[in-house]
Amino acid sequence: MVQFHEHIISDLLEDPSGGLVVISAGLGLPKLISSLLSLHDPSQGSVLILNASPSQKNSIDINSQFASITSDLPAHNRLSLYTSGGIFFITARILIVDLLTQRLPTTSVAGIILINAHSLSDTSTEAFIVRILRSSNRSVYVRAFSDRPHAMVSGFAKAERTLKCLFLRKLHLWPRFQVYVSQHLERDPPEVIDIRVPMSPYMIGIQKAVIEVMDACLKEMRKTNKVDVEDLTVENGLFKSFDEIVRRQLDPIWHTLGKRTKQLVSDLKTLRKLLDYLARYDAVTYLKYLDSLRASESFRSVWIFAESSYKIFEYAKKRVYHFGSGKSIGLSKTVEFFYLYRHPKMRTSYELAFQPFYQDGVLLEEILEEPPKWKVLRDILVEIQEERQKQAMTGEEVIVGGEGDLNGIILVACKDEHSCMQLQDCITKGQHEVMRAEWEKYLLSKVELQALPKANKKKPKAPKGFGVLDGVTPSISGQKADVSSISRPENDALLAAAYEISKQAKRGTDVKDGGANEEHGKGSKNGRNKKKTLIGKTDPESETSLQSETNPSKNEEKTIDHNQSMVGHIPESEYFDRSVLRKHDQGPEITSLLPSLHFHALESDQSLLDILQPSVIIVYHPDIAFVREIEIYKSENPSKQLKVYFLFYEDSTEVQKFEASVRRENGAFESLIRQKSLMMLPVSQDEQLLGISSSLEPQSVIAQNLITRKAGGKKESEKEMQIIVDMREFMSSLPNVLHQKGLRIIPVTLEVGDYILSPLICVERKSIQDLFGSFASGRLYHQVEMMSRYYQIPVLLIEFSQDKSFSFQSASEIGDDVTPNSIISKLSLLVLHFPRLRIVWSRSLHATAEIFTILKANQDEPHEAKAIRIGVPSEDGIIENDVRAENFNTSAVEFLRRLPGVTDSNYRSIMDGCKNLAELALLPIEKLAELMGGQKAATTLRDFLDAKYPTLL
Amino acid sequence: SVSSAGGNRNSILVSHRQKGNPLLKHIRNVRWAFADIVCDYLLGQNSCALYLSLRYHLLHPDYLYFRIRELQKNFKLRVVLCHVDVEDVVKPLHEVTKTALLHDCTLLCGWSLEECGRYLETIKVYENKPADLIQGQMDMDYLSRLNHALTAVRHVNKTDVVTLGSTFGSLSHIMDASMEDLARCPGIGERKVKRLYDTFHEPFKRAV
Repeated sequence: MVQFHEHIISDLLEDPSGGLVVISAGLGLPKLISSLLSLHDPSQGSVLILNASPSQKNSIDINSQFASITSDLPAHNRLSLYTSGGIFFITARILIVDLLTQRLPTTSVAGIILINAHSLSDTSTEAFIVRILRSSNRSVYVRAFSDRPHAMVSGFAKAERTLKCLFLRKLHLWPRFQVYVSQHLERDPPEVIDIRVPMSPYMIGIQKAVIEVMDACLKEMRKTNKVDVEDLTVENGLFKSFDEIVRRQLDPIWHTLGKRTKQLVSDLKTLRKLLDYLARYDAVTYLKYLDSLRASESFRSVWIFAESSYKIFEYAKKRVYHFGSGKSIGLSKTVEFFYLYRHPKMRTSYELAFQPFYQDGVLLEEILEEPPKWKVLRDILVEIQEERQKQAMTGEEVIVGGEGDLNGIILVACKDEHSCMQLQDCITKGQHEVMRAEWEKYLLSKVELQALPKANKKKPKAPKGFGVLDGVTPSISGQKADVSSISRPENDALLAAAYEISKQAKRGTDVKDGGANEEHGKGSKNGRNKKKTLIGKTDPESETSLQSETNPSKNEEKTIDHNQSMVGHIPESEYFDRSVLRKHDQGPEITSLLPSLHFHALESDQSLLDILQPSVIIVYHPDIAFVREIEIYKSENPSKQLKVYFLFYEDSTEVQKFEASVRRENGAFESLIRQKSLMMLPVSQDEQLLGISSSLEPQSVIAQNLITRKAGGKKESEKEMQIIVDMREFMSSLPNVLHQKGLRIIPVTLEVGDYILSPLICVERKSIQDLFGSFASGRLYHQVEMMSRYYQIPVLLIEFSQDKSFSFQSASEIGDDVTPNSIISKLSLLVLHFPRLRIVWSRSLHATAEIFTILKANQDEPHEAKAIRIGVPSEDGIIENDVRAENFNTSAVEFLRRLPGVTDSNYRSIMDGCKNLAELALLPIEKLAELMGGQKAATTLRDFLDAKYPTLL
Repeated sequence: SVSSAGGNRNSILVSHRQKGNPLLKHIRNVRWAFADIVCDYLLGQNSCALYLSLRYHLLHPDYLYFRIRELQKNFKLRVVLCHVDVEDVVKPLHEVTKTALLHDCTLLCGWSLEECGRYLETIKVYENKPADLIQGQMDMDYLSRLNHALTAVRHVNKTDVVTLGSTFGSLSHIMDASMEDLARCPGIGERKVKRLYDTFHEPFKRAV
């Protein structure tokens, strides 16, 4: 166990009612929780773990010994689990239902472990659970955890509110800079080698341009005067949470914003991605992304018209290919011309390939600039290999802690799977091969993209007819033409190249059997497919198959002193000199390392360090949480020699972002520490609990009335107001808020409606998003129809969100005409078809709860057993309480109304004119026309009735 | 002021009380005319609307109740069109909601005069429109429609539809089938047979 984890746990255990622990990201929260759980003794009762994500479940429960309680388990099984004293993962929805139905004996629960506490609010179901549990069993502990300090400071007094809603008093803060933590982690730190890789000039150019555009967008935002200016910095803009900051400020007034402001918000998001991908993607993939961006959002975005964005596209293109025209330029000349573009120092660091395509006097050169980090990664691997070989040769058995350094695992950590796969290909096949493959893919997809019928794009073009252009002019507007800087001949050249490649590919498959070609074909075709399935897994199988594909070869000619060259920051010139030296041996020499080489995608959220026990870690994409994981891993294995390489692009936003994330986390902790010192928490929150658990909560007007009516304000539990709530509604926070208001909640499975307020009132609740969705699917129509059938007062509750605007649209968004797609039209139509439907417009959750108590005021209490039965047909198919069923054969009417040609206006006269469906089936067309009020409708119906059923054979 | 008064079926009739309401400027897609009517807006034979600005409601909290009482029971659809024109909506809106709900009125909210006007227009224009628009997309091919119709009978599933279709050949034959014939179909049990037969043979309207 990590030493400071012990401190955390002993601190936490001091208060028997629990506490909230906030720790820095990457400090081993899952491990902390599993060591806490290992202290659990079944005699104390069960422990329920709430809110864990699947990957958290796996890393907390390494031996998968804890069961998950889901709704799939029948009720009696759940009861036996609850009383068994074990440890369980459980979802909030199932737990709250079991608590409300008293299926869970609260005395059998020892406590709750709540993960991701930053996601809580006082209306969330987790808070509801804690309130109910605490009110019936005081001794239950609640231990809440979060490893996202910055999320704990979003919004006003978030930490304090979280504590209050969990009835906790203790806030434990464990930042990375805490004395115990830093002492412990820095006692025996791993050997760290920080490598700053210079970006290529074009990359720098793109980065600069993106930041310029971003800055321009931010300036525009400031002009709108709608957002707090302080938060609008480029540094903030680098983080995803920037969107949250902006959205939180803009959501309440979103409907009043102009299109331009909304566009700016989404543009900033796009630009952030562009920066991120610049460091992550290779040149070709990046260009491809830009291309599709341009195709998808060209005419609405603001940023695309900014001056600098032109540079983004231009440079991105220049990293991939160069396009020149004129027959006069020969190959040698172009090479020269080409070098002029580059910084002389950089020249050798790129893998340059010239394969000009001549097409009607134009020239297309491939440049295919490789990501500078690739080369460095390869160099590091080579070096590690040399080091190991050296050790092996001298016979020097480096035994530190009993482990030979020779076959320790090398872990390469990237952000995503895509980079993992690409890097693996780089190592096994060579960088150049990978770039070529990407290029080929790009050209082929270009053909496809062209084939898409896009109004502002050039028209379909089959590879065979590449010379032909359609009549569409390439420029839509002056600016636009600048932006989509691909001119006609250039485009043709690209297509020609694509055509070449598809031809080659065909040829390649034809000669696959040939001996010399076999290896190549395997590498680029079968091999690739195979690899995709292998990568990502790190099981021994993939290892062996990788090994079998490679032939280790020894290369003893290298004589570079690695110690000197690799430690610390490498001077640029020396670095590139070395790369010149090595230029010739881009070959398979690293391959002997391959069995111990692993690629890890940080996004996959798995903690591999303990499983793989690597001795070298190459952090390809730096990430603060992963850095901490490495630190913890090292401190847990002090005897292990661990070397860590960090690969940063020098002066890039990547570095900036990494450093800013450290600053941001520290800032969050400082703010939390300040908040902690100022917190106002009641000494004992139990009194509060008492108030809530009874129905006589003073804030409820109705409850007050009750008091005055009952002599002396005596509480009578039977008179408690109750609401029947559909099980599915426990995904939302409304049941919690209703309970806070002092209403009794009865969870059942309802066939009709979501909330039953009284024998007469049935409510279907729709959030704004749901409302639009269920209008589109027709579900709402059906639900309202059912409610109208069984209840006297069917109610549609339209619930707006507190922090969003209270309206559907701004006046300017309402068009000039009545259009079928408008929400106004849909609501009007619903109202016309269900005149008995009542609509309730609620500002927020709390307003809804208020309305419910108002509506219940003079009504009887709903009947649980009846509500469950409603809408569910009894054995003989007759539905109870159907107001129409007494007078109509409802299924026949429904059947009739679903027939083609039958409309709302003619179905009544059909029913008047014939007895039943069987009779209808035999009516001649003339009679039908008479009943249906038209020849056309009658023909439609008659044809449908008589249509021959298509035979299956 | 747009058209001459009279029982024009295609126009909204507006009460003289509404004279001077800026809302009228936003009724542009439908003709309208002043008339002597009890409600504020007469939107069709059976539907009417009362207009209420929340700001006005705050000054005259009883107004809505008296207006609704005047309407009596002459309309199937009685809309209370509420113009949300105050900042602090929760309390007044609750009062309006309660009054409307307990006195059989449908509450519609608009946040601008344009929106309120559009509701009036739409209800008039859609007076006789079928509900297809909000019933969800349905495939219009024969099999989908047949499925749709037959599954109106409870517990009949898609497999049953195939069985029935291929046994009887057409929908009219299915509807006219005898109980024995229905029972002969594989997968269709006793209860389903009865349910199908009753649907087809019981009269639409039960004898009262």
